[in-house]
Amino acid sequence: MLKRSICASAFGVTVFYAAHACAAGYGIGTPVTESALAAWNIDVAPNGHGLPAGSGDVAHGKDVFAAKCAMCHGAQGQGGIGDTLVGGRGTLASAKPLKTIGSYWPYATTLFDYIRRAMPYNAPESLSADDIYAVSAYLLYLNGVVPQSTRLDAKTLPQVKMPNRNGFVPDPRPGTL
Amino acid sequence: MTREETSKYTDLLPDGRARQFVFEMDAKSVITRPSPGHKLTTHGYYAVSGLAWSGRGRIRRVDVSADGGHTWREARLTGPVRDRALTRFEADWHWDGGPAVLQSRAVDETGYVQPTREALVAVRGVNSYYHYNGIQSWRVGADGELRNA
Repeated sequence: MLKRSICASAFGVTVFYAAHACAAGYGIGTPVTESALAAWNIDVAPNGHGLPAGSGDVAHGKDVFAAKCAMCHGAQGQGGIGDTLVGGRGTLASAKPLKTIGSYWPYATTLFDYIRRAMPYNAPESLSADDIYAVSAYLLYLNGVVPQSTRLDAKTLPQVKMPNRNGFVPDPRPGTL
Repeated sequence: MTREETSKYTDLLPDGRARQFVFEMDAKSVITRPSPGHKLTTHGYYAVSGLAWSGRGRIRRVDVSADGGHTWREARLTGPVRDRALTRFEADWHWDGGPAVLQSRAVDETGYVQPTREALVAVRGVNSYYHYNGIQSWRVGADGELRNA
């Protein structure tokens, strides 16, 4: 019964493995616990669903960025060995488009999702929620999206209006190139 | 929404807008032998082989051209043909020693035909590369060297 209830209630990545293990009856593995699953269930939706408590402002974000990010992304989010994070507005229709947070990303919440799960590159998931909100605020500030006085949290981050929010169209395939 | 969904599963169009979301890879193929890095040392018979795949089902057919797409011959599918899986193909070719351009063109079970690079670029421009599936050309020089055309 326990196995069956896990199979029926598991979502996302785990459903694939759980369904296979249960259906085939190999008798291997152990049912995933809710607490173990929670460590992986960290995605953030455009509407802010999944954002944790905490907050951070541009000033603190500048310090965190200098300590944890600038060595790869450059002091101002440009010119490092890592991806360029700042600039590129107005270049998307040019021969050399520069896709950055400010020029391309449709949702500010993606900042939190990605920084939390993947950055710093050598220590992903090491930043506190406060630090991640702060770095998000700093990067949005560097991109001219929010003012210097900005403090972000689970409520305000999803409300940030991204410059390229309306720059997307549905995929028309199949039926056309 | 994750960064990958933002930056990899969107494709930028020439007008600056981007398709969102782009997941399936349409039918695509590439000749792996001979290919750049190889040098043909004798004139005569070659078995041209490669891989085809489609994000929308099974590969139905692969055609091979040695003259840059002017004429095509149907290749043999030589391995398992599975849904959304790499599919081996092989075609006979006689190299007469002159310049040639080898191409492969995949057709999947939906009837979709792998497009030329020119057709694809005309619609999507040159900055939409993550789902690029244009026909690949390998130029064969009179010296037998293969290069990306």
